[in-house]
Amino acid sequence: MENLYIPATASEPEVDFRFDTHSLTLKGESFPENAAAFYVPVIAAVESYLAGRSDTTIQVNVTLAYFNSSSTKMLFSLFEILNNAVLSGNIVVLNWFYDEDDDTILEFGQEIADDFAALEFRPQALV
Amino acid sequence: MTEHTLRVNDMLQSEINSFRELERKCNVIFYYSGLFSQNIVAAMAEALKQRLAHSGNKAATQRKVFSTFIEMAQNVIHYSADTFSDVDQQDDELRHGAVWIGESEGKFFIVCGNPVAASRAPRMRDRLNALQSMSQEEIKAAYKTQLRSENEAGSKGAGLGFLTVARDASEPIEFHFDEQPDGKTAMFYLKAKF
Repeated sequence: MENLYIPATASEPEVDFRFDTHSLTLKGESFPENAAAFYVPVIAAVESYLAGRSDTTIQVNVTLAYFNSSSTKMLFSLFEILNNAVLSGNIVVLNWFYDEDDDTILEFGQEIADDFAALEFRPQALV
Repeated sequence: MTEHTLRVNDMLQSEINSFRELERKCNVIFYYSGLFSQNIVAAMAEALKQRLAHSGNKAATQRKVFSTFIEMAQNVIHYSADTFSDVDQQDDELRHGAVWIGESEGKFFIVCGNPVAASRAPRMRDRLNALQSMSQEEIKAAYKTQLRSENEAGSKGAGLGFLTVARDASEPIEFHFDEQPDGKTAMFYLKAKF
């Protein structure tokens, strides 16, 4: 399937989902006016990429400096789908980049790791 | 200059002085009253980020102030009763409100205000009263529960807005409803300190 690339805007993160190399990257800040309108198509693309897939190691790289409350909820849905992909025989590594001075981002990453225990959670402090 | 021009200049000077005086008295670092749209909020966010970056505050504090500003401003976009867009519209909304960011004794605070339908006020008051009486641990726990629950009808976000503001503020949030003479609307004000 085709890769998905959405350039960053003032209030939306860069989406760089390279399905051909199994590398999914989200980067920037996320506070769109309508988080569902932004994330539902992104999540749908991931769902079709994952459909029927097994024995794949997927690298997910998240470098979000800020996300608003409605984006938080959508991100949670995305990680749920990725967690389910592990249950169908894939390996999903979640590289979670965070600013060492900002515990909120790391805490949210740990929340995800707690709820979606099948993800291989790798927190990485940005230097 | 004619005598008339001098008099106009004096008046302008005096208006500017009284405006600046009020600005100092209220510790204003940023004030906006008018239409809120996503583009306007994103532009203000950019200005605020620059201001915070030069404030000497920790990155975590900067992010909390920024986060609260976004939640409050997007609340105006989505819920202000003074609207130029349809009530159920989800994109390209345009609504009226105000936001005031100040700094007092080295601490930031944010106040936002917008009209709400009087009928919504009691429910909002209940939710905000509950938040005021919660400890930080309780707020975090409520946030986690809400994150995992289904969205409420009528919510355009995740039902997490007020919880996010309460979580990021360093003191209990303050609020006030000012009932309007028309009986149909109330001005809603919310304040958070950091």
